[in-house]
Amino acid sequence: MKHLKAVNKKAQQLSDAADQGEQDEVVAMQTVVGCAATTDPGWEVDMFGTVAGLCQPMEADLYGCSDPCWWPAQVPDTMNTYPDWTKEADSASKDWRNLESVYPDDKE
Amino acid sequence: MSIPVRACGALLAILLLLGACSKEATDAGAASSEGPSTRDYLVTVSRPNLLNVIDLHDKTLVRQCELPGLAAPGTLVMSPDGNIAYTLVDAFGDVFGIALDSCELVFSTQQSQGDVRVKSIGSLAISPDGGEIYTHQNRVQLQRDRYQLQTPQVAVFDTSAGLKAQPIRSFDAPRQVTIMATDAKGSLYLGGPDIYRMDVSTGDYEIALASRSLEDPAYSQRDVLTVWPLGEVNNELIRMYSAARYRGESGDLDNADWIWGYEVVNLITGETEDRDFGPLEVVLFTGMRRPGHLDKMYGVLTQLKEFDVDSQTVTRTIELEHTYYCINFSTDGSLLLLSGALSDVAVYDANTLEKITNIQLSGDMGMANSYVFNRRTL
Repeated sequence: MKHLKAVNKKAQQLSDAADQGEQDEVVAMQTVVGCAATTDPGWEVDMFGTVAGLCQPMEADLYGCSDPCWWPAQVPDTMNTYPDWTKEADSASKDWRNLESVYPDDKE
Repeated sequence: MSIPVRACGALLAILLLLGACSKEATDAGAASSEGPSTRDYLVTVSRPNLLNVIDLHDKTLVRQCELPGLAAPGTLVMSPDGNIAYTLVDAFGDVFGIALDSCELVFSTQQSQGDVRVKSIGSLAISPDGGEIYTHQNRVQLQRDRYQLQTPQVAVFDTSAGLKAQPIRSFDAPRQVTIMATDAKGSLYLGGPDIYRMDVSTGDYEIALASRSLEDPAYSQRDVLTVWPLGEVNNELIRMYSAARYRGESGDLDNADWIWGYEVVNLITGETEDRDFGPLEVVLFTGMRRPGHLDKMYGVLTQLKEFDVDSQTVTRTIELEHTYYCINFSTDGSLLLLSGALSDVAVYDANTLEKITNIQLSGDMGMANSYVFNRRTL
């Protein structure tokens, strides 16, 4: 974590885990609880550093990546916390306007 | 609930008015009377909660059944008799069995128990006699102040148990398993860091095909990405890997070729095979060999690519209208089928790679796989 600085609560927990020698537990948890700690380039760049290999259109890749919590920074956790996020958008390319931002519940 | 999607003309209208549009009436009006008594079907899951049945003879969507849960991930296997579709859905939570003839829900699991939450990532398989369903369970205990990681397990369900079935056996299993399949002898294969072979009566498992643990100085460590159990029409489980193949000194990435390869389990004999099949030019999500032409490998994402396995060359490239995740073939290898991601299934002539048609579904498939099988005409 020498070159990375935590800027939110989740990142701070990751940093703490590394300091306590619990990296393996964090790695395992990313699969188990879904949207937890995955950091992935997302829709910005492909494996060659260009854009030619990106899914086209972006909407084609939206549910395939949001359902398994592939890009937690960009989309809500539909596996656990916001299962109805896509309820009004069965077709991402046609209904994307119905995909709203989500906010933590004040009661939680 | 069955949603008839095949028009059956005036007869259907009349029967609808009578409130009695039975399955038989729908089929009678739809199935071309000159058609074969058995035919290939492709089944896949789409949003919001639909099991779609596509007739590959007529190339039409012939049935949609409602699933009692959210569509994702939509992993699907068929019973050996082609009558029941088992779908892993409901936010990676449970398996539902749907009888294709009636759209009736005949089986469901209850994977999460008490404070232990279970998620299965595309890992669903059925025994060769259809009597047992297998899932790979990622388990976490939800405590008041933290999540406590549990050992992953393979859970075994009796398909005759009906609704809310509980596991009849559970075994500790490797982590990071994303696809599974069984062979003719009943062994369960788990696609994870390596491909494991498990005895489903004892839970003992071994490495059937080394992938991540493979130590070959001529190659970098393999990278495998898959949540799509594929290869049923070839009686095999297949997944692709990418790696650097060093031309000189081991580990010298500046002097290496980036290649695609495949890892295959023969589901008749249990034998395994892995080999390189072509250059890594673009990202591909799924790949399969063409039935009857196992020397030809095809991969898809934003392009469709055909590889000649022996010469390890790209022989044809097709630019697609949009990204598809999942490739498949008709059982005779004449049709190449693209699905996943958005909401249409693209049908190609496997000889010419010319598109024949797009079959439109009502919602996106996301990461759902397709499953192709032959059965009595619906």
